[in-house]
Amino acid sequence: MNRYWKIFKQGIINENPLLMLMIGLCSALAVTTNVQNGVGMGLAMTFVLLFSEIIISAFRKVIPSSARMPIFIIIIAAFTTVIDLVMKAYFPALSKSMGVFIPLIVVNCIIMGRVEAYSYKQKVVDCVFDSFGMGLGYTWVLVGIAAFRELLGNGTVAGFPLFEKLGFVGFQPILFFILPPGGFLVFALFISFNIWLKKRMAKSAKAIAAEVAA
Amino acid sequence: MMKGLIKLGITLAAFAAAACVGLAFVNQATEKQIKINADIQLAESLRELFPTADSFDAIITSELEWNNVDIKLGEARVVKAAAESVGIAVMASGPSYGGPATILVGIDIDGKVAGVKILDLKDTPGLGANAASVNYFVDKAKQTTFPDQFKGRAIDDGLKVKQDGGEIDTITASTITSRAITKIIKACGDAATARFIAGGK
Amino acid sequence: MIKIFIIALLINNVVLMRFLALCSYIGMTSDVGQSVGMGFAVTFVTVLATAATWPLYHFVLAPLNIGFLQILVFILVIAALVQLVEFYLKKNVPGLYAAMGIYLPLITTNCAILAVTFENISYKYSFIESVVYSVGVSAGYLLAMVLLAGVRERIKTSPIPKFLQGTPILFVATSLIAVAFMGFSGLVK
Repeated sequence: MNRYWKIFKQGIINENPLLMLMIGLCSALAVTTNVQNGVGMGLAMTFVLLFSEIIISAFRKVIPSSARMPIFIIIIAAFTTVIDLVMKAYFPALSKSMGVFIPLIVVNCIIMGRVEAYSYKQKVVDCVFDSFGMGLGYTWVLVGIAAFRELLGNGTVAGFPLFEKLGFVGFQPILFFILPPGGFLVFALFISFNIWLKKRMAKSAKAIAAEVAA
Repeated sequence: MMKGLIKLGITLAAFAAAACVGLAFVNQATEKQIKINADIQLAESLRELFPTADSFDAIITSELEWNNVDIKLGEARVVKAAAESVGIAVMASGPSYGGPATILVGIDIDGKVAGVKILDLKDTPGLGANAASVNYFVDKAKQTTFPDQFKGRAIDDGLKVKQDGGEIDTITASTITSRAITKIIKACGDAATARFIAGGK
Repeated sequence: MIKIFIIALLINNVVLMRFLALCSYIGMTSDVGQSVGMGFAVTFVTVLATAATWPLYHFVLAPLNIGFLQILVFILVIAALVQLVEFYLKKNVPGLYAAMGIYLPLITTNCAILAVTFENISYKYSFIESVVYSVGVSAGYLLAMVLLAGVRERIKTSPIPKFLQGTPILFVATSLIAVAFMGFSGLVK
């Protein structure tokens, strides 16, 4: 059980796909103008990652190495199409708001990269935990950035006028944060924060290890 | 060597086939709902523009005179109330700042704009996107939103933004979006007017 | 049609305004030469991909009512094209092939290319308009790449605050370039 927890934890901070591995960036910045989009994208990506990892891991003995890229693409594209159709049918407003970024999940480097580096070589159960960890790592950054940008740029969180309700009436939203340059800037700060967080955690892990050894 | 290649090809084809079959199933399952969603949106918008109407008959789009190259005609309906035509609704999409804008324009039988509903707009939030916002007013005193100001206007040469010599108020710092939407409305209006003149109702 | 090109190149720049193709943008801009090579490779693939996918959609997928296979078909076409480019470069321009390394097959996952092929359809562009659009977008990508590469070369010798060292400063720089690009929005009527 401990082993699964470790696999799961990796994707959240230490190997956070967006902040540490620097992959899957495009969708992360484009859809984070408000929190609903961020959550929607996070869940959609996790769905595709989860099922792609499961199928590829399950069939890894059957997939020939020399033709693995096209087969990966076929599988990932299939699940992307599934989530695209499902969203168009049952979440039309969200689907429209995210536009071309749902189909773009198929080229999300996180999924491609993870499938190649991990699920082609690991057992199915491990892959389930890995995809949830990576998915959560992706989603928390997305929601964080989205909350920041939406709150400062629009005064709302998921459409809920937070500042107003808290009594900060007359808050003038800083449009900059919803615009592209603002997105880049907020992302820079998040990366910086995550680097610091990782260093802190490594330091305290070392300190604990030193104590134990002493 | 050949055998290996054939095996490779077969494996690839097998996965592709499985994917296509699976997707066909999902497509079947969701197709209907997707169509319903689009229909619901259109129906709601039509009712918003023509609250007294009770039927919207489709017009074959090739019957409409459409001269615009940039703006593409979507659908058109004859709007009837108690079997009498009260106007025409035209849906078109044209290029705007951040992508195509899709607009539904209602024109009543007097040739005036009955109403405008923006169905899809991909412009910058806080700027061009305000065209579709219910909170953004071009006339703060009268609380008129951008689409509201088209109501009751005739489809003539005056239907341009103020910067081009017309009478339409633009959205602050979003002249491109305002101009683009106005152009689409004019194109829809022209097509409807041409049909009225040609005797169609 | 010039309008489509200018909007894609400057006003709605694919990297700086739309956040696409960021992975290669960060990864391949350590020097200007690399970014130019990458920019041209992407242009080549994008235009070819447009030329291949547009007819595929309009003459095969749509009439047969299998539009739902669009994602699958388009990405496979792009992957195949990238493979062809790889073979060609390996044989004829081995220097560039070696320099690009892992980033060559990664062109397949360049979101901008897939996005362009999708938008050609959803914007209802004609074939010529699609090609112009794809050239405009790729030119915008090349421009953004070269700009950042230039900035990176310059800041190599600058004192950067500790908490921005590494990747964060690149995004701050990008943010500033993006602000500058927003000034282009009045260019087209």
